[in-house]
Amino acid sequence: MGISELLRTAFRSLRANRKRSFLTIIGILIGIAAVITILGIGNGITKTMYDQFGNHSKTGEQTTEIFFASTNDSTVNGFNQEDIDNLKRQFAGQFKSVRIEHETANLNQTAMVGMTNKRISVSLLRSPTKDIKLVAGHQPTRAQYSAGKPVAMMKEAVAKKQYGTAQNALGTTVEVGKTTYRVVGVYHNQAAYTLEGGANKFGVDLLLPKQLYYQGSSATSGNTIKLIFDQGQHASKVSSRVAKYLKKNGSAASKGLYQYEDMEKELKQFAFQMKIITSFISFIAAISLFIAGIGVMNMMYISVSERTQEIGIRLAVGATPGNIMMQFLIEAVVLTVTGGLLGFLCGAGLAHLIAPLMAHAIGNGVHLHAHVTIGSFLLAFGTSASVGLIFGILPARQAANKNLIDILR
Amino acid sequence: MMIELNKVNKYYHNGQNSYHVLHDIALAVDQGELLAIIGESGSGKSTLINIVGFLDEDFSGEYFYQGQPIHSMTRSQFSRLRNKNVGFVFQNFKLIRDASVAENVELPLLYAGYSHRKVRDRVTEVLQKVGLAGYEDQLPQNMSGGQQQRVSIARAIVANPHFLIADEPTGALDSETSQEIMNLFKKLNQAGTTIIMVTHDPRVAAQCERVVKIIDGRIVSDSGRKEDNHGDQ
Repeated sequence: MGISELLRTAFRSLRANRKRSFLTIIGILIGIAAVITILGIGNGITKTMYDQFGNHSKTGEQTTEIFFASTNDSTVNGFNQEDIDNLKRQFAGQFKSVRIEHETANLNQTAMVGMTNKRISVSLLRSPTKDIKLVAGHQPTRAQYSAGKPVAMMKEAVAKKQYGTAQNALGTTVEVGKTTYRVVGVYHNQAAYTLEGGANKFGVDLLLPKQLYYQGSSATSGNTIKLIFDQGQHASKVSSRVAKYLKKNGSAASKGLYQYEDMEKELKQFAFQMKIITSFISFIAAISLFIAGIGVMNMMYISVSERTQEIGIRLAVGATPGNIMMQFLIEAVVLTVTGGLLGFLCGAGLAHLIAPLMAHAIGNGVHLHAHVTIGSFLLAFGTSASVGLIFGILPARQAANKNLIDILR
Repeated sequence: MMIELNKVNKYYHNGQNSYHVLHDIALAVDQGELLAIIGESGSGKSTLINIVGFLDEDFSGEYFYQGQPIHSMTRSQFSRLRNKNVGFVFQNFKLIRDASVAENVELPLLYAGYSHRKVRDRVTEVLQKVGLAGYEDQLPQNMSGGQQQRVSIARAIVANPHFLIADEPTGALDSETSQEIMNLFKKLNQAGTTIIMVTHDPRVAAQCERVVKIIDGRIVSDSGRKEDNHGDQ
């Protein structure tokens, strides 16, 4: 009897007992879904790490950043051109390049809004954006941005608090650093974080033109440097040595702290924690699959005893004991593989739902995407098929060894 | 001779007791015969027919089928032997309840290695032969007893077996339907199929050309053997 005939028979008898089959499938489904979810997230973390820091990153480069945080005076800049030149000399050949990174999102500043001095957050724009919705006024034009005109947009909440209504805020001024900006637009409040878990650039209090914000000396100085490494260079190691060097020799070493945030290390730590969680959940999934397997076995035993007559008929018309065993074994495997494939789909979906939430929990602007691989698929398929084989073999053998004369009597 | 049994004995074991069901049976059946085995219930006639039809391989004695000794074959070999050589018709039809008529009839062909698509024409042909043309997709449970027995006859003859074994084929049918089924058997026999049936209905037995009677596991009379060797027992 060919495999297609065996499959047809298996599907027919499973359909005949829909409820029973469904309940048996659920056990397998849960076990497989748990494993696929955790693997999808785990692989996503590994992939994120490699994409950002690893030797197989997408661009072929690795980048790290070193921040300067001043202890009291926010106007002090941690890096100037001299620092850059020093680093280039000191660490020649250990990195590809270094430059001052002008942050454009979520800068913390003090500003004079109307008559009050406030700590506010600022993001910088180079051109009009579609990512905000205006409540009042208008966005600065492209020409105003490139000419570095002192124009600003204000968050609705700030405007209302300071001036009562959004409309009133138009035409007022804010003073940030040494520049006075005129407010030309008020935009809707946005959440501080994006859905992916990163900080939202447009959740800030003020939006200012980048061209004007970094001008004069501030164009050649800043609080962040970006180090770029070639593949194979020890980005993490060199970066922490650079930070150490700056702590002693940086231009603002006495006024603040140079910090290298080792994202790779953090992610590695997280990956290690994930490994523990993965093995724990895999263990639970294994128990779940074992119990589900017993369910399959139970169902197959019931099926065999219910269909004793059918077995007798098949044997009488020429089925060999091997044929009968194959029939019941295939039925068990069809059952578990169905559960396995449904579990794979559920697990993949769940992983994609959970990964962003986890990234949010980690913070630091880490972006996590679940990564469900072909390997996971094969694992789901293989595991469920072997559960079917292992737990189906005893009932199938019982079916094959039934005494024909006893059945037909 | 197509079927030749020599000194066949059969015991049933039940715990420590063992019952001697068949005593030194000697039976020879030739190609094309229509043979009825009659006897009281418990006389061993069903046991005998199960051995003749390769359903029961657990017996002592010799069984030659077309000259081949089959008493020492394995279980799988018996399966193949059944599949290729014999069709069964049972008293209670023995159809798979949740499978359609066509799916029931095609079973022997599937186990002979044919695919579902290749056997469709043959299934239609035998259903026509038993007078059930167009019933392919019906479920057996929705059909009358006579119709179900026709389905089971169609299943028995679909693989062109050398002989048919029928165990009380009319036992569950009224007399009119019984006669229809008997007519079908006679038609098949005239077309060359060997048929061995067990019955306790004298009207059915009367229509068979040879009648073997069994009492307490022994053959006590054989109408086809009267003219030649008498003392053979």
